[in-house]
Amino acid sequence: MNSPLVTAPLFHLGPVPVSAPVVTASAIVACLSFGAFLASRRLRLVPGAFQAFIELLVESVDSQIRDTMRVEPAPYRAFIGSLFLFIFAANWSSLVPGVEPPTAHLETDAALAFLVFLAVIVFGVRVGGWRGYLATFAKPNLLLVPLNFVESLTRIFSLLVRLFGNVMSGVFVIGIVLSLAGLLVPIPLMALDLLTGAVQAYIFAVLAMVFIAEGLDLPPSDKLEKETS
Amino acid sequence: MTFDWWTFGLQTVNVLILIWILGRFFWRPVAGMIEQRRRQAQDLLEQARRDKEAAARALAEAEERSDGFAAEREAILARARQEAVEAKRVLMEQAQAEAARARSAAAADLARRRQDSEQEWAAQAGRLAVTIAGRLAARLDGAAVRAAFLHWLIEKLGAQSEQTRQSLVTGGAVELISATPLDNSEQSRIGAALASALGAAPELAFLVDPALIAGLELRTPHFALSNSWRADLAEILAELSHDRRN
Repeated sequence: MNSPLVTAPLFHLGPVPVSAPVVTASAIVACLSFGAFLASRRLRLVPGAFQAFIELLVESVDSQIRDTMRVEPAPYRAFIGSLFLFIFAANWSSLVPGVEPPTAHLETDAALAFLVFLAVIVFGVRVGGWRGYLATFAKPNLLLVPLNFVESLTRIFSLLVRLFGNVMSGVFVIGIVLSLAGLLVPIPLMALDLLTGAVQAYIFAVLAMVFIAEGLDLPPSDKLEKETS
Repeated sequence: MTFDWWTFGLQTVNVLILIWILGRFFWRPVAGMIEQRRRQAQDLLEQARRDKEAAARALAEAEERSDGFAAEREAILARARQEAVEAKRVLMEQAQAEAARARSAAAADLARRRQDSEQEWAAQAGRLAVTIAGRLAARLDGAAVRAAFLHWLIEKLGAQSEQTRQSLVTGGAVELISATPLDNSEQSRIGAALASALGAAPELAFLVDPALIAGLELRTPHFALSNSWRADLAEILAELSHDRRN
């Protein structure tokens, strides 16, 4: 069994080493993209069962964004929703025999956390400008600027470690149990791992929303207006 | 523990691509469809609200128009009732006037009929009385009665003018009419009496007319002297009729 802390390249594209998590993630991206293309190709005003399901998914994401960020969900829907779908699909990719979840490797989680870090900055600057974004570090007090700055880095690091730890530990435990016990013994652990993967995807998305919302320089009244609108 | 920066970079690109693709082909179209349906539902609700308001306005107008109809109906009924009362009054007046006219006409007709009837009955009574008197007088026809009538005849001739008396003597035959045939002695006595009254004996022609009942009358082509029960009764009847008319 390979160590989950080591990412070995499968092959090289020129000078670029391509590892298994990259291949798996690319396959997930391809599947999700193809599925999205198929799902959105025949949208009707009177929805069928599948369209009702994907609309339920979209409205659930919107509802979560409204409840968590207290803003209109449209600008953040694609980022938060896609992040959730990707992590969910990545965590559940362990259902495919021989496939290891890409989120069980540090680089993938780091990439996701890095994107959240960038999103906080991009959305914050887009809403309040550089001045407004930087002003969010001075809340609630100017003395807290260093602490807030450090927090903006550490919370991203905690995001990365949380996802990596949960997914990697599940995979590691299943691998150990599988190597020690029989074929069917790890099944309950795998089911638990699926639940953990879904919960972690939700937690990652919710925390991303919280971090982005903290970077938005919006007065409470604006947020309330946006909420009521 | 190692950290593969290539993997980190490729995964970042992977997720960015996924975010772009899903944003372009999934989240935006589905959210757009939801928004379109919501907007259409709002439009339908707004249209339903407008239709409801229009229906409420139409209902109010209909109720107002119905109230107007009711008021107009009441006015028409009241006007019709007033016209009926007026027509009834006019008809009653006309009927009363007509009845009064008919009553007065009937009364006049009745009075006229009664008068005619009375006159008729009086005439019949007069005629009956004359008939009865004639029959009674006929039983009295005798020498005494003829003597009386001869006396009255001489008186009436005496009341005539001298010229009239002369014309009786010189005018030719004088008809002397009696109710019953006269014997010769009686004719002689009557001729003598007339000659005495006229101063000369006229040329007498004795005729009989039972219609006289009783009496002696003289008649020439230009003169007639009535002296009989018939003439007296006719005179009485004429007087009775004259009295009734008056």
